[in-house]
Amino acid sequence: MAITRRQFIRRTGLATAGTLLGPSLFASPFVRRAFADLGDRYLIVIFLDGGNDGQNTVVPVDNGGGSLRADYEDNRFSGGGGIRLTPAQLGGTLVGTDPNTGAQLALHPGFIGLKQLYDAGQLAVIQGCGYPEYSLSHEESRLIWQSGNPLRLTPLSGTGWVGRHLAATYGGSQIPGVCISDSIAPEFRQSTTSVLAIQELENFGFPWDSFGSDETAKELAFGALHANAVAGAQATQNFIGNAGNATLLSTSSYPALHTDYQADRPGFSQQYADIDRSIAYDLREVAKVIYGVSSVPPAPNVGARFFHLANNGYDTHSDQGGATGQQYDLHREVGDSLKLFYDDLADMDSNLPDKVLTVVWSEFARRIEQNGSGTDHGSQGPMFVVGGPNALNGGVYGNHPNIDALDIDDDGNGNTIYRQTAHPFRSTDFRDVFGTILKRWLNMTELQIKSNILIPDVVGGEYWSEANGINLNMGFLP
Amino acid sequence: MGDQNTILSEGEARHLLRRSGLSATRKELATSGVLGLSRGAAADRLLGYKVKTFKPPGNDQRKQHDSYMRYLLVTKTPVQEKLALFWHDHFATGIAKLLASNFDQATKLMASQNKLLRTLAKGDMKAFVKAIGRDSAMIEFLDTVRNDKAIPNENYARELLELFTLGVFDSGGNENYTQADIVQIARAFTGWRYGRNLKPFLDGNQHDTSAEFFTERGPKRIFETRGQIAGGAVFDANGEGEPEIDTVVDIIFTHRDTDGANTVARRTARRLLEFYVGPDPDLSVIDTVIAESGFDATFNIQALLRAIFCNDAFYEPGQPFGAGVTKSVKWPVDFAIGSMRMLGMKFAGSNKYIPGGSFTGIINQMESMGQILLDPPSVFGWEWETSWLSSSTLLARYNFARDIVASRGGGRFRPDKLVDFSLTDPGLIVDEVLDALHVAHNFTAADKQICVDYLTDSGPPDLEDFNYVNEKLHGLFELVMKSPGYQVF
Repeated sequence: MAITRRQFIRRTGLATAGTLLGPSLFASPFVRRAFADLGDRYLIVIFLDGGNDGQNTVVPVDNGGGSLRADYEDNRFSGGGGIRLTPAQLGGTLVGTDPNTGAQLALHPGFIGLKQLYDAGQLAVIQGCGYPEYSLSHEESRLIWQSGNPLRLTPLSGTGWVGRHLAATYGGSQIPGVCISDSIAPEFRQSTTSVLAIQELENFGFPWDSFGSDETAKELAFGALHANAVAGAQATQNFIGNAGNATLLSTSSYPALHTDYQADRPGFSQQYADIDRSIAYDLREVAKVIYGVSSVPPAPNVGARFFHLANNGYDTHSDQGGATGQQYDLHREVGDSLKLFYDDLADMDSNLPDKVLTVVWSEFARRIEQNGSGTDHGSQGPMFVVGGPNALNGGVYGNHPNIDALDIDDDGNGNTIYRQTAHPFRSTDFRDVFGTILKRWLNMTELQIKSNILIPDVVGGEYWSEANGINLNMGFLP
Repeated sequence: MGDQNTILSEGEARHLLRRSGLSATRKELATSGVLGLSRGAAADRLLGYKVKTFKPPGNDQRKQHDSYMRYLLVTKTPVQEKLALFWHDHFATGIAKLLASNFDQATKLMASQNKLLRTLAKGDMKAFVKAIGRDSAMIEFLDTVRNDKAIPNENYARELLELFTLGVFDSGGNENYTQADIVQIARAFTGWRYGRNLKPFLDGNQHDTSAEFFTERGPKRIFETRGQIAGGAVFDANGEGEPEIDTVVDIIFTHRDTDGANTVARRTARRLLEFYVGPDPDLSVIDTVIAESGFDATFNIQALLRAIFCNDAFYEPGQPFGAGVTKSVKWPVDFAIGSMRMLGMKFAGSNKYIPGGSFTGIINQMESMGQILLDPPSVFGWEWETSWLSSSTLLARYNFARDIVASRGGGRFRPDKLVDFSLTDPGLIVDEVLDALHVAHNFTAADKQICVDYLTDSGPPDLEDFNYVNEKLHGLFELVMKSPGYQVF
């Protein structure tokens, strides 16, 4: 009887898995921690590409004990091309107050979904995140956030902060990360363990020439050649043997996650399609993987815990829009997609949202001063952390940046100032946010974090930068 | 143990051609004239190439990248090109930053630097480093344009020491320089700019001169405590202003490590051995090739390469696997261009795709494999060896291999030109395929048996059968290009 492709994969899959976990693997120098504790937690990183206008993302509705609302209205206008958000427009998306001035804050009215998550205690809004001497270049600022190594004092080129965590935690035969993309996100880069780049699980196939019908024979030979490489005495070949087999296994196991999800969860699948934006489709791919990994028994040969997604279009130099328009659409699609995603997780298993943490960042915010119908590159801005109600202490963290025209940067570019000291408008170093996640969600020690993952700008390890202390217990994670 | 007088075997000759260049087809072997020569004579013949200038044309990043790739595919001076790739990584400059800071001139800046890398590739390294300091692309890339006398920018000074010449540590693990040395060297480069014609010049108004001496900065002196230079050396010794940056380089090239050996010579020899041989070269080999070439006195790159191509260590990776045998992972550009040259392939279409399979443009293929020429990820260049490989970059290599064998007919992938179609013995067919891809040394007897089993699983080979050729012979080429042995040199 002819063997079907699926049966074949399952069989060689098991055989190969046995090879992968055999003693020769554990002798390999490339496997730092063969029995890594996979844990049961997931981390999703979402990058808002282009510099999201933070000043219209978390907006003061009143002055509180300061002048934030007045300052906001001094800089942002109503009328043609205006981007000012009025208190009435913000009435449906109120969140907490600014820790510094006590001003009532609201999310952009497009964030209907995030507001729902906020009300359920599933959203932490962290204001004013950045780093000293802000680079207004997309490229450089992106690199600083992704590398977690702003001054590049430690030679960690080509690797990202998540990647270095993965390298320190997982072995060569494991595949802990997936980027929903055609390439590995810079934050996820490393060289010790495997990260996949998948655009659509459905199409994540192993590329074989389609002439004829001997794909099975080629898979068999490919597996055998790689098993030989793993079993041999040459270290580079051991590494490639593992990596090639991990790849073959994933291409045989990940597409099934799509099929299973589509078959079991057609209703939710359709809701992502109804949003019909790339961020919704990408989150659906993550949902498919988590559904497979957290099923009992789990889907075979699938173990991803870390995901990266990006959403584009935030470089709103013109036609940014106010309560409607470009930025509204961007916020609407991200908020609605995240809300749907967490609903989807809760529907899979009521405990699942508490195991999935999502962090949202952008390379910079934009200037408070409006420029025609848009805004130009600025500095520190808000981040979001989303999780289950028991995984997260929802609320507002960090101070709103000072947007008083008299206090903004006097170098002529009209930028808000990243405050490092105990100033009333003290900003939050982005490394505090990522560091809190590494420490409290991923159980790394402060020493591990500061020595290899997020690098201080000053030697000694007590400060991220001059007079800007390190706080890895920001409070948004219990 | 061999030396420069050792006569090359055919296998060694092909190894030399492929490792010093981009490929080693039987035709290349015949026309190279190295067969039957000694190691030294063969090295002289290959390294004696007449310098060919080439500036990758194209007024956007993709076009320029593609023209560079096409040039690598057709070049008749692969030894020069391989060496230029080494220097492109060594003096890494990425177009992404240039596009951000000087969009209109970015491709021109890269073209001009790329030509420089070719022109100086095998000459005097000291002159090379001096030229790189005045290269406009580098002046832009490492912020020399933003290096003002009021607040000297240390970016170029740091990389000049760390990456281009000394390295942070010597072979004994001792620091080669201090932060004070970087601060001082940054002063020498204050005020260097380039004009709209891309020519470098010194803007005297922005140069740190003794006339307006910043007294707190002290004398223009470096290596007071490092480099075994008693009392350090002053870099305005040949005059202030323009001469300073050359004097700085002259001083750096006199730096000695804690063993008393020339630091630049050892680090450069190490990097070249890592590039042409593989990771972790022995210090004894490093010192041997320096001693044989006199590189620590002349800094003549061609002489150093000759010594490397005469050393036993160079020929070791051409041997079959063994516990101690070094294997070096092919760079993506070697994987792609090397395969295409070995198989006689050409690009098609305006975006240079492989005419079969996915029809993906070459820049996208290369991006997925992790190496876009003219755009290394940072000044550190690319990360070599196993850092090239992940599931996704492997899949990109597999895709590329699939695209090659899927391009049928019309002078594209032509296995009939690579394999004798009158053969019926599966073992001999496997040998010919491994030979065409020059990978037999990386296949064990057990590996070859796997290939034979694959060729014969539905009956004996029949190379006169159209379907057998397209399924099994194409399939064998595909399998070999996806094998662990083919990912390494």
